[in-house]
Amino acid sequence: MPPRHPAPPHLGTDVSQRPPLLEARGIAKRYGSVVALRSADLTVAAGEVHALLGANGAGKSTLVKILAGVIPADAGTVRVDGAQVALRSPAEAMRAGLATVFQDPALIPDLTVEHNLRLSGLEPERIRPWLARVGLAGLDLGAVVRELPLPVLRLLDLARALAHEPRLLMLDEITAALPADQAERVFSVMADWRAGGRSVLFITHRLAEVLRVCDRATVLRDGRHVATLVPGEGGESRLVEAMLGEVAAVTAGPARAREGRTEAPVALEARSLTSRGSLRGVSFRLHRGEVLGLVALEGQGQDRLFEVLSGARPYDGGELLVDGRPFRPRSPFDAIRHGVVLVPADRLQALLPQRPVRENLAAALYNRVARWFSLLRDEEDRVRRVVERLAIDVRAQRQARRLSGGNQQKLVVGRWLVGGFRVLLCFDPTRGIDIQTKEQIYGLLRELADEGAAVLYYTSELQEIPLICDRVLVMYGGTVVHEQEAATADEATLLNAAHGLQEAAV
Amino acid sequence: MGAVGQVVAGRLGGEWRRLVRRHGWTVGVWGLLVLLLLWYAALIPRFGPFAIASIAKNSLPTAYLAVSQAVVVIAGGIDLAVGSMMVLANCVSALLMEGQSFGTTVLIAVGVVAGATLLNALVGWVIVTSRIPDIIVTLATLFVFGGAALMVLPSPGGGTSGGLRFVFTGSTSGVGSNYWPSLVALAVPLAVLAAWLGRTRTGLSLYAAGSDPNAAYLSGLNTRRAKVLAYAIGGAFAALAGLAVTAITATGDPKFANAANGTLNSVAAVVLGGVALTGGVGSVIGAVAAGVVLFILKPILTAMAIDPNTAQVIQGLLIIGVMMVAGLLELRRRRAG
Repeated sequence: MPPRHPAPPHLGTDVSQRPPLLEARGIAKRYGSVVALRSADLTVAAGEVHALLGANGAGKSTLVKILAGVIPADAGTVRVDGAQVALRSPAEAMRAGLATVFQDPALIPDLTVEHNLRLSGLEPERIRPWLARVGLAGLDLGAVVRELPLPVLRLLDLARALAHEPRLLMLDEITAALPADQAERVFSVMADWRAGGRSVLFITHRLAEVLRVCDRATVLRDGRHVATLVPGEGGESRLVEAMLGEVAAVTAGPARAREGRTEAPVALEARSLTSRGSLRGVSFRLHRGEVLGLVALEGQGQDRLFEVLSGARPYDGGELLVDGRPFRPRSPFDAIRHGVVLVPADRLQALLPQRPVRENLAAALYNRVARWFSLLRDEEDRVRRVVERLAIDVRAQRQARRLSGGNQQKLVVGRWLVGGFRVLLCFDPTRGIDIQTKEQIYGLLRELADEGAAVLYYTSELQEIPLICDRVLVMYGGTVVHEQEAATADEATLLNAAHGLQEAAV
Repeated sequence: MGAVGQVVAGRLGGEWRRLVRRHGWTVGVWGLLVLLLLWYAALIPRFGPFAIASIAKNSLPTAYLAVSQAVVVIAGGIDLAVGSMMVLANCVSALLMEGQSFGTTVLIAVGVVAGATLLNALVGWVIVTSRIPDIIVTLATLFVFGGAALMVLPSPGGGTSGGLRFVFTGSTSGVGSNYWPSLVALAVPLAVLAAWLGRTRTGLSLYAAGSDPNAAYLSGLNTRRAKVLAYAIGGAFAALAGLAVTAITATGDPKFANAANGTLNSVAAVVLGGVALTGGVGSVIGAVAAGVVLFILKPILTAMAIDPNTAQVIQGLLIIGVMMVAGLLELRRRRAG
């Protein structure tokens, strides 16, 4: 690992002694009944690179959006150089000296690079040196943004932010899609910025980067500030601890007979599966009667893996087998016909929200020509059985969108029970669901597995893994980097592996 | 460095080729227009200044409406009321201009344009403030403006000055062989608008608001203002269409069918002219050419002694055909690139 960039000498070594450049106090934000930020504090000193860390859903993105003026905070104050500022729009945040590079570059896809820059009030001559600084000296300003690759857009967005010469540069997951050499450039830009007495707020999932380039790190958990640390010797474990909190006492589920599952026939197998840019050789086996957990930080290829498995996207390399036979679905319809079905995180994506419960459950049957004529009687029976089995609350059954989130998710699972399946793909199915329904869904998935179904279960909540999974895989950077028995999987190990820290995989 | 290297190397591919590719649609529509004009010239026995003047002046309302619709669609909206705004402007101007001197009619014309601009700005403001979809609000205003025209002028009537007729038609009687005034009346406002849209920050913000409102907002642009502005400009051009009708016919006609036709033609012109209905893509110059293309079909069919009512069928087929050819070309370009 290269040496850390030295701190600028004129500012002293202890960053916490310096005057704060940005001071956010008690920032709160809720969306309806969901609390995104309870009370977040953040202090960034002048001349430091400050990391903002937290597990998925800890509130990092919400805090950044508030500081960028994209969304208003419900409560709290923001001070820049000691003076309170109002951040009612991105333009106002920029005037206050805060510039942000978002995960999705904020560039207009149908306009040329030059037009985009003009829109931000930048003449081409003014941006040239900054483009050179981020390694885009030869960029064609006449190119249409839509036709440029994502890494170029990230760097272009960075150059644009730099050209406004902000006091505080906020970089949200900027290295996520960047090749290593370009990430290096970004780090050197960050070091320059610090040397000039300005600051950088760096949001990342990669702890190794934090250890290398950041002076301090603020950790959020459940929408609160939990710690501000100096990542130093042995820092990673302290950071991981702060992100997790005291190791939560997970209620152990009833002991299950899990022996022999890996001897059962393989229902789904991936061999070095690749998909352009996202999957770099994913291999795993999913046995009948097994719930296989999958864990990853955002953007490590898990979305693409599920898209490929469910037939929404083709794969371009490797092999995929269902029950030992090659499987290359051309569409979700095709995948469903082969018995590979998906329960997505966004329930409304899968449901027909304006239609009644019964139609939603029976939708999987409508594909079969033989059923076009003999539908109703049989359909009613099947639907009734599933409603009973899943204990779906049918008081609001006239329109699926009126059901609670938990009941909607039961509908999505129930649809496949009505239609039948071989492999059930669950992508974060308990997101935003109350605890009681969660447990019902866990129970149901276990039951299905005991009956011989194969379930692939991606979750963003690590504590779910030992509750319902037999084995767990960890994805990082488009491949499976870690595998273990779920019963022995503690959160720290999984999180370390998910951050790409190799030593944890031993 | 792979991706970056590619982009840099792409620069050597030739400025010219890229220009043609980017404005390919506009060039294509103008080419189609030229072809149709040549065809028309070959069809009729005496093609001369009189025929040119006839096309130039009679296509003015369609062309203005195409511009009006294009500006709004580029900014991510759609204005179903452009036709009835045209009819309203026609009726108001004909009513007020009857028996007036040239000077007075010019003042009235300016007033009508200004009024339509403000009225449509208000429509835009209602849309961005209430967040009711554009198509619903402007469907409502289609009826409101259409009804207002009937209230202003319950039956056809009114008039205008010979001078104003000259400005749009090239003749104080509305019939003649001087086509320059009609061309100038279209080209000048069009050139000003096109330059403003493509070269100023505010003009570009219309494209930005239509292309990706979220990214535009994150870049610090005022997307609401951009949309209100687009509707205001659309109103001005719809009023110009109304004034052109007054000048050509020397009367005001409140018939609702004119309004509905005008709106549908404007949407057709926008689609044919290469402006994406999803916003952010296309140019007003392409839309104008498409507007004239749609207009010229009728005289061509008449010259071929085909029932002009067939024109509507052909118009529809032409739109589908052009869209399919464009889709095919785009597909080939992607495969090649």
